[in-house]
Amino acid sequence: MRVLRPGVVASVVVLRALLLVLPCAALAVALPEVPHGLVVAMVVVSAASWAWFPDHAVGVAPLALVAGWWTVHGVVDWRLLVVGVLLTTAHLAATLVSYGPPTLAVDPRLARLWLARGGLALVPLLVTWLAVRGLDPRLAPSWLWLLAGATAVGLLVATARLVRPEER
Amino acid sequence: MTSWRPTPALVRACLLGVGGVSLGIVLGQEVLAVLGAPFVVLAATGLAGRPRRSPHVAARLDHTRLHEGQGATSRLDVDELAGVEHVTRVAARAAHVATLPMYGTVGSLVDEGLPTIAFSPRRWGRRALGAERVALTSPWAGWRWGPVQLPETSLVVLPRTAAYDTRAEVPQPDGLVGRHRSRRVGSGNEFEGIRPFASGDRLKRINWPVSLRTGELHVVTTRAEQDAGVWLLVDALRDIGVSGGIDGRASTLDLTVRAAAALAEHHVRTGDRVGLLVVAANGARVPLGSGPRHLQRLLGTLARIRTDARSTPPERLDLGTTSGSVVHVLSPMLFTPLVTATASLQRGGTSVVVVDTLGDALTEPDGADRLALPSLAMRMQKIERDDRLRRLAALGAPVVPWRGPGTLDTVLHQLSRRAQVPRVRA
Repeated sequence: MRVLRPGVVASVVVLRALLLVLPCAALAVALPEVPHGLVVAMVVVSAASWAWFPDHAVGVAPLALVAGWWTVHGVVDWRLLVVGVLLTTAHLAATLVSYGPPTLAVDPRLARLWLARGGLALVPLLVTWLAVRGLDPRLAPSWLWLLAGATAVGLLVATARLVRPEER
Repeated sequence: MTSWRPTPALVRACLLGVGGVSLGIVLGQEVLAVLGAPFVVLAATGLAGRPRRSPHVAARLDHTRLHEGQGATSRLDVDELAGVEHVTRVAARAAHVATLPMYGTVGSLVDEGLPTIAFSPRRWGRRALGAERVALTSPWAGWRWGPVQLPETSLVVLPRTAAYDTRAEVPQPDGLVGRHRSRRVGSGNEFEGIRPFASGDRLKRINWPVSLRTGELHVVTTRAEQDAGVWLLVDALRDIGVSGGIDGRASTLDLTVRAAAALAEHHVRTGDRVGLLVVAANGARVPLGSGPRHLQRLLGTLARIRTDARSTPPERLDLGTTSGSVVHVLSPMLFTPLVTATASLQRGGTSVVVVDTLGDALTEPDGADRLALPSLAMRMQKIERDDRLRRLAALGAPVVPWRGPGTLDTVLHQLSRRAQVPRVRA
């Protein structure tokens, strides 16, 4: 019996499976603490939707849900690093798959390129994790928080402006 | 007009990176800042890679005149590749057209060169090649241009001239150029005999050894070289069977068209004048002619043949042939009026050869229920057809199934011998 549609490439199927598995795994890292059933259900459903439509904005949902759950629980131990790696990997898998339809085989050179880019993207994860673990925010001067807040707002505005399509 | 648009990956990275880190700082949520940090890099690099100009994209085929089974590569022309990292092409599926890669989807990094797609039409006729969707992606998959739909190229795929060769001469060559040996004396190269000199003979024809021996001038006579007027009558009233293209099973029309193409090529190559009459809804007639350009015209006409269920067979065939012409009737002979018209041609003094192009179209598949209605109908039709062909053969029109090279050798030899027998006309 044929499992895949004609022409669908196995590498794409593997990457799509990762889109379903990785967000769920990022939530499962919290075990033995079991997240609320509603959260689990939402993550599974949104991750499945993402796996079905990897080039769709629905991909934000599972990542935001998992990040939100860990934020609410305020865990900053080694598990946070694992969660960060899993979420970043899921994002990269979706990016790789989104280059074309399911019949487009994953180009090994493109995959290696994104592997390197993924490694680069994980550097800030480690740096911020170490900073959060090692620095005491109470020692920071008050202007630093103001500056950080203003920078964040500036970044948001710049991003919104850049992402807007060209007007013709 | 298509422009560069942010990809869902960039939007995701921006929301999780910039949004997450900003919220983390503003709300004092360390976890959010840590989890958002990798996405900041991906968002920033994606945003920075925004291309400045919209490119113009066009695809072109290497060849626009193809025979079935041949291939052409479709190449992409992009005028502005600055800021483009990856190109994806997805070719539309078309009937009887094979693509390489198999599903017509290809993508590659721009520094490797733009991806190409190979098309190969597997059946003669009008085919649409090259319709595709193209998408360009910027570095870090931040921006995408397209996918845009590129138009298809419609081209006429000529039938493959199936390997065909014959050493038999056409029975009654009626022209004055060509390779066929004539029964008439003329200025060819084929030795006919030696006779005494007569006024008007060319001096270079004098045979000096014989003249010296006999004491009288003798000249060498040769046979004239003559071409033949060959008509190809193609029955395109119906297409029985399923065409699997050049690699699969052949329908009756496939066999007919390929056989006609092979015969046309053979006769044009040997210097004969070849004409074509297509019996179909969009019937066509190509007058007698010779040469490579005429062959292309014949193949082009064959490639444009379409069947129509409403088309009706003609009552009589008016080719305007002389008694010296040979008519090859290529048909599965499933219609009585066409058989009658062929018999009329034969009675009119034309040398008619029926090339049976039914092939396996009426062969029952293994394991088929022999008492089922379609099987019975098929067998009845075959019996009727065989009876028609027997009657046609009894009239003197040989019927030969198309088998490729040498199909007509025996038949043409017999017709040539018959043509040389003196006849008494009433």
